[in-house]
Order: sequence, then structure tokens, then C-alpha cells
Amino acid sequence: MSEKKLHEDQKYIDGLLKNNSFIIQAIYDKFVPKVINYIKQNSGDADKAQDVVQDTLITIYNQASQKKLQITCPFDAYFFLLCKRKWLNELKKYSNKEVTINEEVLSKDDDAQELAFETSVFGEKQDLFTEMFQKLGNACKNLLKATFKIKSMEEVAASLGVTYAYARKKKSLCIGRLTKLVKESPKFNQLNN
Amino acid sequence: MDDQDYILFEDYISSELSKDEVITFESRLKSDSKFKKSFNAYKELSRFLEHELGNKEGSKSFKDNLKSISDSYFEETTTSKKVINFNFYKYAVAASVALLIGFFVYNQFTNPSYNDFMTYDTVSLTVRGNQDDIKTKVEEAFNTRNFSEAETYFTQLLEIDDSNQELVLYKGVTLLEQDKFDEADALFGKLSQGDSAFKNKATWYLALSKLKQKEFDECMVVLKSIPEDAEDYKQAQKLIKKLD
Repeated sequence: MSEKKLHEDQKYIDGLLKNNSFIIQAIYDKFVPKVINYIKQNSGDADKAQDVVQDTLITIYNQASQKKLQITCPFDAYFFLLCKRKWLNELKKYSNKEVTINEEVLSKDDDAQELAFETSVFGEKQDLFTEMFQKLGNACKNLLKATFKIKSMEEVAASLGVTYAYARKKKSLCIGRLTKLVKESPKFNQLNN
Repeated sequence: MDDQDYILFEDYISSELSKDEVITFESRLKSDSKFKKSFNAYKELSRFLEHELGNKEGSKSFKDNLKSISDSYFEETTTSKKVINFNFYKYAVAASVALLIGFFVYNQFTNPSYNDFMTYDTVSLTVRGNQDDIKTKVEEAFNTRNFSEAETYFTQLLEIDDSNQELVLYKGVTLLEQDKFDEADALFGKLSQGDSAFKNKATWYLALSKLKQKEFDECMVVLKSIPEDAEDYKQAQKLIKKLD
């Protein structure tokens, strides 16, 4: 049981998860201008800002739905830090220059830093998993897609023309294969440290 | 990790293990850190796949909604003022040109108007006897376009001297200006039938009266009857051309 109190800004997270248009619009109206300014002042433009914001909100949505996300700090600080990290990572990818991530603190809020870091790691893991999934063979990909879509292993087995036992075994092995791919990638070790 | 371990992971997650097997599994998690790490990764990926592959609709509708809100937000904030002004400029130019063309076309195609052709000098009468008083009044009334007053005075003067054709002509004008067409036409008609010095002028005014009444055919007929030596012949021809 967490000692910290949930912040009232939790409503933004919940709103995103519920695909609440009013909340989403409010996020854009209140919190996005600061991000746009930051990116424009750091070798970016409005188009790049648009992408960063969208990707960040999708990452927050994914974490909230997969793992449950609860913030104990203002959404403003959390969101801004996330976008900033994402943008600086973008810059690192495309420029050979040394990009220093100076963590000038906007609000002396460790919670925001911590939460933003967690979400950032989560997002990068998601990207890695997606990348590795694509590397699986078609047989595994199709089986896994069917398994998680249909949800009943009996139906999956029937649709693939195999026995239930075989389908289950294959599912384990495919996920196992994916696990192996992920664990062996250098990025994963970076992220897990 | 070998295949057996992954099958074990799956069984554990799907609750397909017996109670004893669960106890064995959980104690192995505690003692074998490699096993634990592997299991955690497997679990994480399982959850990832469930969300990515299983929750497609919810995820897709969120992403679509997000994109549309994002697009309209960014379109609003980055719409260049220049674009708006440019369109406005184009419309302003188009509107002006249209107006100008419209103006010329209008002039070409509308019928000539009475006001374009009607002219008369200020009146300066020659009256008989001692009617100087009324004469002054009628001149002032007429010259200040007080036609109804002028009409009254002309009528008075004509009562005294009904042979003064000039008075008749000008009375006709006051009637025409007041749109008293029947009376005006009667006076002009009589004058143009007569032989006075004002005959041609009266014919011209009669034509103009018809024009004011928009009786274009009758106007034409009258115009054509104006002789070449008339003072208003040229104007009459001009009007004929316009009516054609």
C-alpha cells in the first residue's frame, strides 16, 4: 500500500485511459504549449513537437492500461519531463553531437522525476518488444496473434488445425523465443539496470 | 532457459499447475535468480502481447481520437496569418473587379433614364401687365424646384393671360417634375401641335415625359417626330440610339 497520496491530477491519467476527449483536449490546451516552446528552442519545430506529444501520450496510455499508472505529482511536471526526455533521445539519434541532458529541475519534485523515468523506461521497453516481435518467424507471429485475439485456446487450436495440447505448447515456446530475443538484445540490459 | 521452462512459465501463468507444482515453482523462484529473471521477462512480454494484440480496438480508437485532437490543435496554432490575409486579398480584388464589371454592364443594359436627359434653364419670364409680384414668386419657386408652388402661380398667371405659350411650357415642366403625367402630356401635346416657338421644345418634353413613365415605345414615336432643325434634335437622336 503506497504511503503517498494520489495527486488530483490522476484524473488526466484516468481520462486518457478512458479515451475521454475533454481530458485529452484539456491536456493539449494546458500542458502542450510549454512542450512546443521547449522543443522549438532546442533545434526542433512544431511538427516534431506534435509527434513527441502524441508518442508520449500513447506511452502513458499503454503503461496505464498494461501496468496501472498512478501519479503522486502534478501532471504538468510529469508530462513535461517525459516529452523532454523523448525529444533529447530523438536528438541523440540523429545528431552526432554530444547532447547533454541537463536535468534542470523545474519544480523540486522528485516524484515527477521518478515517475517520468519509469514511464520513459516503460516506453523504451515497449519499442524494444515490438521490434523483437517483428523478428519472430511468421508461424509464431500468426499463432500469437490468434491466441491473444481469440483468447480461447481450443478455438485457436481448431482454427489452426492442431491439437489443443500442441497449440498450448507452441504458445509457450513462441513467447519463450521472444523472451530470449529480448534478453539477448543490448538495449534490454541497458534498460534493466 | 530451455523449452521446458517456458512451458512451465505458461502453465503457472494460466493456473494449470497443481497445488504442489505451484509450491515447487514458487520456491524455485526464490532460490534461482536466473530462473526468476527469466520468468519476469516472460511475464512482462506476455502482458505486452496481451495488450498489443488483444486490446486492439480500445487502443486503436484511443490512437485515432488522439490523432484527430492533435491535428486540429496543431492546425489551429500554426495556421499562418499570411494564408488568411492572402485569401482575403484575393477576394477583395475579385470583388472589386466584379463590382466594376457589374457597373459597366449595368450601364450598358439598363434603360436610359429621364434624369439623364431632362434639362431646363432657370426661368426668366416675360409677362404682360403688372404681374411682377407673381412673376417674381413663380421664378423663385421654379428656380428653387418648388414645383407645386410654381404650378399654382403659373395657373394664376395663365388665368390672366392664357395665350402665353411660354407659361404653358413651364407649367408643363412643373407638372412633369411632380409626376402629374396626364396633365403634363396634355399641355405638351397641345403645344407640339401648335405653331409657337416652343413647339419643338414641347415635343421634346413630351418624349421625356413618356420616358419618365417608361413608355419606351411611345417615347420613340415622339422622338422621331422631332425635326432636324430643332434645338434638341441631337439629344433626341442620342436617346433614340439608347432605346434601340
